[in-house]
Amino acid sequence: MGYVLDGEGLDGLVRELARDYLVFAPVRKVGAGRFTDVDQVIYDFVDDASQIELDAKSDYSFKELLTPLSQTLFYYTEDQVREAGGIGSAGDPAREGDTRDVLVLMRACDLHGVKRLDAMYLHNGPEDSFYRRIRDRVHFVLLGCPQTFEHCFCVDMGSNVAPDNWEFSLERSGEGYACAVENESLLPLFERYATASRDVVPAHVTQNDVHVRVPKTVPLELRTSPVWDEYNHRCIGCGRCTLVCPTCTCFTMQDVAYTENGRVGERRRVQASCMIDGYSTVAGGASYRKQHGERMRFKVLHKVYDFRQRFGYDMCVGCGRCDDVCPEYISFAACVNKLSDAVDEWDAQHEGSVARDA
Amino acid sequence: MMPSNNPYIPFSSKVLKVIKHTEKEYTFRMAFGGEVRPGQFFEVSVPKYGEAPISVSGIVPGESVDLTIRRVGVVTNEVFEAYEGQSLLLRGPYGNGFEVEHYVDGECVVVAGGTGVSPVRGVVEALAASATPQDKHVIVGFRSPNDLLFRDDLARWENLVDLILTVDGAPEGYQGNVGLVTKFIPGLPLRDPSTAQAIVVGPPPMMRFSVKGLLELGLAEENIWVSQERKMCCGLGKCGHCRIGEKYVCLDGPVFNYTQSKQLLD
Amino acid sequence: MIQDIDVKAMKKNAFRVSKERGMTASRVRVPGGLVSAKSMARIVEIAEEYGRGEIFLTNRQGVEIPGIHMEDMPKVNEKLQAIIEDTKINQEDTSQGYLASGTRNVVACPGKRLCPFGCYDTTAFAQRMDHEIFPNNRHVKVAFTGCSNDCAHVALNDFGIIGMTEPQYDPNRCIGCGQCVDWCQRRSVSALRLEKGKVVRDEDRCIGCGVCVVYCPTRAWTRSPEHYFRVKIMGRTGKQNPRLAQDWLRWVDEDSIVKIVKNTYAFIEEYIDPNAPEGKEHIGYIVDRVGFDEFCEWALKDVELPEKCQRATRVYWDTKRYDRDNNLR
Repeated sequence: MGYVLDGEGLDGLVRELARDYLVFAPVRKVGAGRFTDVDQVIYDFVDDASQIELDAKSDYSFKELLTPLSQTLFYYTEDQVREAGGIGSAGDPAREGDTRDVLVLMRACDLHGVKRLDAMYLHNGPEDSFYRRIRDRVHFVLLGCPQTFEHCFCVDMGSNVAPDNWEFSLERSGEGYACAVENESLLPLFERYATASRDVVPAHVTQNDVHVRVPKTVPLELRTSPVWDEYNHRCIGCGRCTLVCPTCTCFTMQDVAYTENGRVGERRRVQASCMIDGYSTVAGGASYRKQHGERMRFKVLHKVYDFRQRFGYDMCVGCGRCDDVCPEYISFAACVNKLSDAVDEWDAQHEGSVARDA
Repeated sequence: MMPSNNPYIPFSSKVLKVIKHTEKEYTFRMAFGGEVRPGQFFEVSVPKYGEAPISVSGIVPGESVDLTIRRVGVVTNEVFEAYEGQSLLLRGPYGNGFEVEHYVDGECVVVAGGTGVSPVRGVVEALAASATPQDKHVIVGFRSPNDLLFRDDLARWENLVDLILTVDGAPEGYQGNVGLVTKFIPGLPLRDPSTAQAIVVGPPPMMRFSVKGLLELGLAEENIWVSQERKMCCGLGKCGHCRIGEKYVCLDGPVFNYTQSKQLLD
Repeated sequence: MIQDIDVKAMKKNAFRVSKERGMTASRVRVPGGLVSAKSMARIVEIAEEYGRGEIFLTNRQGVEIPGIHMEDMPKVNEKLQAIIEDTKINQEDTSQGYLASGTRNVVACPGKRLCPFGCYDTTAFAQRMDHEIFPNNRHVKVAFTGCSNDCAHVALNDFGIIGMTEPQYDPNRCIGCGQCVDWCQRRSVSALRLEKGKVVRDEDRCIGCGVCVVYCPTRAWTRSPEHYFRVKIMGRTGKQNPRLAQDWLRWVDEDSIVKIVKNTYAFIEEYIDPNAPEGKEHIGYIVDRVGFDEFCEWALKDVELPEKCQRATRVYWDTKRYDRDNNLR
């Protein structure tokens, strides 16, 4: 079923939804950007349609709900370990005790991203209890995406069309807003607030400006190829690319003592980045991948090769946030294409012996 | 500690015994009744300080596991404060470990350096108890005579298997072998290197050169097994730190066949 | 041809006396250092038509067009009119060119309009200040810079205004990567440290430069919605006693600064040395003579400094007095 809403209708709809659900959506934070008087679009809880940023790509992804930037796992007292209860850091700690389900508004690429997070947290080894706890409460609202943003390459990654796990869709249309409703239990709500009903098919991107060629196979020899060398001096290892990525999942444990004698404290996990110093450092100080080019290889190959070897599909969903955020103007998309060129060249030189990885 | 389905919650385990090898290396014998095999590891959890992955260095089935710990960081520093009768928090065991049965028939070479002896200790015990202990060649290297671990075991193994104990360097007058473990690989008296099994565990350069030596000796790649050590924050395939290519050391390892591990590039 | 020129009036009209008899240079005022391409073309036109096709770029972001015959000054003023209007310079009489030259061009670095580290719109503030204080014959130098790097060299001005932001920290977004701590140490004043996996800011040490915000990879650090300023005062170059301006106010607001600078003109009128050459005396010398407290009294008249603002009650300028001792040690 599809519906058309005007501004007032959307206000009413969101306000009513926000009574039954926590609503987590991209929000324009005025002046919260890196530079003076630059806005930032970050996910947060909303209770009003006017707070939702429908038009811009979010700078940081929805993943901060499912895998918070900083999440307390346990509290320690003298002789007890108590599991932390809340859904974590996303938004306001005051929402910790809130047990309502969560509606998350996201675009097709990010919905594909959820599948990647699930793969890591639910299917790679034992289930992650903390992830499971929040994941079971999350439902999705698809934000229709009529046209590509800068740096997006969802079409080439096959993530431009949303998977079917959303409750309803939302996008601007000539009449105001158009929604396709998949969850029948929400129909009465839409009947109440819609100005009309008509067939609605959520818009999706069919053409990006950026094109990426993902290599089918990457010979071992190319993992030490000169492709990566330029990043030794270009990359500064800040990790922004991975922190904005909707599919990066790494974390580091932090144990903290509140008091001098160390008897009370907490264990938390914080998002980690394979691009930032210390990621691979073991107790005693030894570390792998000291060069930024090696870190770039580790990250890029994971996104377009290693993950696929393990799970059968590529990790990267082509949202292009990494290219949006890099302060050194390093393009992940360009890097993947350079890698593919190098693979082609290698294949041409080793014709006949290519059957190896196929 | 409350029992929980949450894999991040550690369980409490009593320290049955503390064995001091050197100033920096202790073995903690921990009460543990579950299933475990050599080469697997536990996360030793010290609230307020953190967790550290420690491999199992000895097993008494249904009773205890030994954790040999080198004091190198904040967590292990804290663990060293533990005494007999006290409890530590553990998670695990994690990882695949060694399939001991695979090594007991026929010829086998074990090359271990430093704390790398821990994960293979159980394997060596099985080799010593096998029908053909004389076909089992164990090369164990330490930095210096003062750094020796498992002295009692070494003395016992001496009489059971073909044991080569060596140190990288020693003061003048030292009676034993001096030199890197790799020095002793070419001289191994293997009857049929092409069918012999080998296990290599130790610091990365030592493993690289030992494998090279074994291949030169005629061992087959698929008969060589290595155990990898990487930074880990969870042991559950989540934190990402131990990933190498498509493999997770905590889930798919730490024991890898060399045909696989040679494909892995950090 | 008779040349009978009121040089004092000419100077106030922003024309220079030059070495070459009968020749002058037109001084074009560019508040905030931002000039439209159109006006730049007009400047070029004047230089080509009345000058010798050359333009000096001045240290204070104005331009001087040399090689102008003094008798062409009225025609040049006519030509300057479009520039004056474009740069929005105060002017009661639109036929006479610039109405003063004592209060110098208000300088600004590009600030937030261009620079990643700029903490406020330096250009806009400079233009506002120019609008508030010009025209005036008193010799006052005001300069604006976007952050504590002080690329605009505001420390050489009577009033140097430095942008500040108060870093806002969200521990829930912090992953303890330590990049802010590292960059604060390398690019700024080491005001940050990691404690229990989170960052602690030494509020007293922090100069509000915003380096932490720029380098934070997660937006745990953001800028305060308010723009704050540090005001350095009484810097000067010169023959007798050049010195760098020193901190007087910090975490102060824009409106207070405007009032303070305007108030200072009354202070100058009251206390300037009547024998000062051409009625020009660096304010700092006046302050030295009548006392810092007296200056504060005048400058802060009807100014209500915000609660957050910190004010130095004593300011020391420790520098060499060339008029007393010219020895090298």
